[in-house]
Amino acid sequence: MLKKLTRFYYPETIEDACKYLGSKDEKTAVIAGGTSEALRQDNSIEALVDISRVKELNHIRVDSSSIRIGAATPVQNIYKSTDLKGPAGELLKTVAGKIGSTLLRNSITAGGNLAAVFPWSDLLPAWLVLDAEVVLRKGKPKRTVPVENLLNEKPAKFMAPDEIIAEIIVPTAGKGTGTSFCKFAKTANDYSMITVAALISIKGDSIVKARLALNAVTIAPVRCHEAEKMLEGKKPTAQLFAEVATAVAEKTEVRKDFRASKEYKREVLEVLVRRSLEEACVRAGK
Amino acid sequence: MKINTTINGKKHCLDVKANAMLVDVLRAAGFKSVKFGCGEGMCGCCAVMINGKPRNSCITLAGLAEGAEILTVEGMGNPENPHALQQAFAESGSTQCGYCNPGSLIAAKALLDSNPNPTADDVKDALDGNLCRCTGYVKRIDAVLTAAKAVKKTSKTVRGKK
Ligand SMILES: Cc1cc2nc3c(=O)[nH]c(=O)nc-3n(C[C@H](O)[C@H](O)[C@H](O)COP(=O)(O)OP(=O)(O)OC[C@H]3O[C@@H](n4cnc5c(N)ncnc54)[C@H](O)[C@@H]3O)c2cc1C
Repeated sequence: MLKKLTRFYYPETIEDACKYLGSKDEKTAVIAGGTSEALRQDNSIEALVDISRVKELNHIRVDSSSIRIGAATPVQNIYKSTDLKGPAGELLKTVAGKIGSTLLRNSITAGGNLAAVFPWSDLLPAWLVLDAEVVLRKGKPKRTVPVENLLNEKPAKFMAPDEIIAEIIVPTAGKGTGTSFCKFAKTANDYSMITVAALISIKGDSIVKARLALNAVTIAPVRCHEAEKMLEGKKPTAQLFAEVATAVAEKTEVRKDFRASKEYKREVLEVLVRRSLEEACVRAGK
Repeated sequence: MKINTTINGKKHCLDVKANAMLVDVLRAAGFKSVKFGCGEGMCGCCAVMINGKPRNSCITLAGLAEGAEILTVEGMGNPENPHALQQAFAESGSTQCGYCNPGSLIAAKALLDSNPNPTADDVKDALDGNLCRCTGYVKRIDAVLTAAKAVKKTSKTVRGKK
């Protein structure tokens, strides 16, 4: 593992970090929490660029319209944050608290979790339902893109070799919006078998915005656009949520693994989708 | 490759392989309290404090500890002068085989450092990454709560003496 590795770089700014990346003379890679990088079977990497000390990558900032989370922020800081509030903030705290354990959450970073894209990466469906955007930096130049685009194309392909994730931006949601997250795993800190995130906004007596996203049960995180369309414009009723849950469970391509059969996961998925929608709806009314 | 760290308050310059894990480096440097368990971040035996935060040293490349302050159980106390947590673990019988104890003690110390008045739920949350396969969890939770009280008492008397 990492047999060719000979050195580390410790940049203090984003620009410095990008300078070490994408070089033709030396094969380098970013390391943040290191929880997946450390165990990588890659034997071509010669140097690691440790971005955990870059101060401008480590923050949680909240204002009236958005939440901004620096890429190198340990997810434990999200879980324990007292600044994160409201439907978006609460969702992020809940999800971050369900990642691994305290010891892991102190290492795992928001950006590393997003860049590595595993089925069990719990934050990914949350970013999707929150319409999160990601700020990518290539030295000074930056671009801001929806997390959904980054995930659909896979970060490793989407980003240039000398580009890094700098920040994730989430629009805050106000009154009338509710969020929910369900994680189904064998034990409290095992890898997820199914994750479901939901967001529902209600105005008057109808759903004006619906977001639903899954991970773990699928090979990669997915946003359920069809289900969202079934919900938007309708009255939030138990029957509607049950119908949507059935449709999602039928259409989802369930990932195979040793933990449980596809049939079993499909049944549990239906229940969890229904519950998440119901819970988000109840919270939207509060 | 060389890394400079402060381990239990003393500066060390260690010669390490670039792909070495912190757990192996610490053990080779004589800090044998740090245990190797699962090697994949699941069990917590290898937990050490890095800049005040407990983390799994088995999936932390030693290079990430450059310039860091590390605390292992050797730095918490010794048999003659144990930390309140070590005392409480011993007295409550939270230790059977003892293999998970160093990691659990480090996680417990991190909790008390940030929250001197923990509830049982806080203890469960803070020690959620430290598996114990023989003693179980009840005694350990009680031990942390007992130690929290003892720490508060001693810090009060220390302050009282000043
Ligand atoms: C035992 C165990 C249990 C786990 N359980 C869970 C769980 O329940 N839920 C969950 O969500 N996750 C879980 N994880 C974490 C997950 O599997 C990844 O290891 C983690 O999300 C990676 O984050 P990191 O900060 O450690 O990234 P690193 O390991 O440092 O990096 C991962 C990858 O991302 C790249 N990268 C990192 N930061 C950036 C950046 N800012 N810009 C561009 N590229 C970057 C690196 O180059 C590397 O390719 C678990 C991990 C372990 C070891």
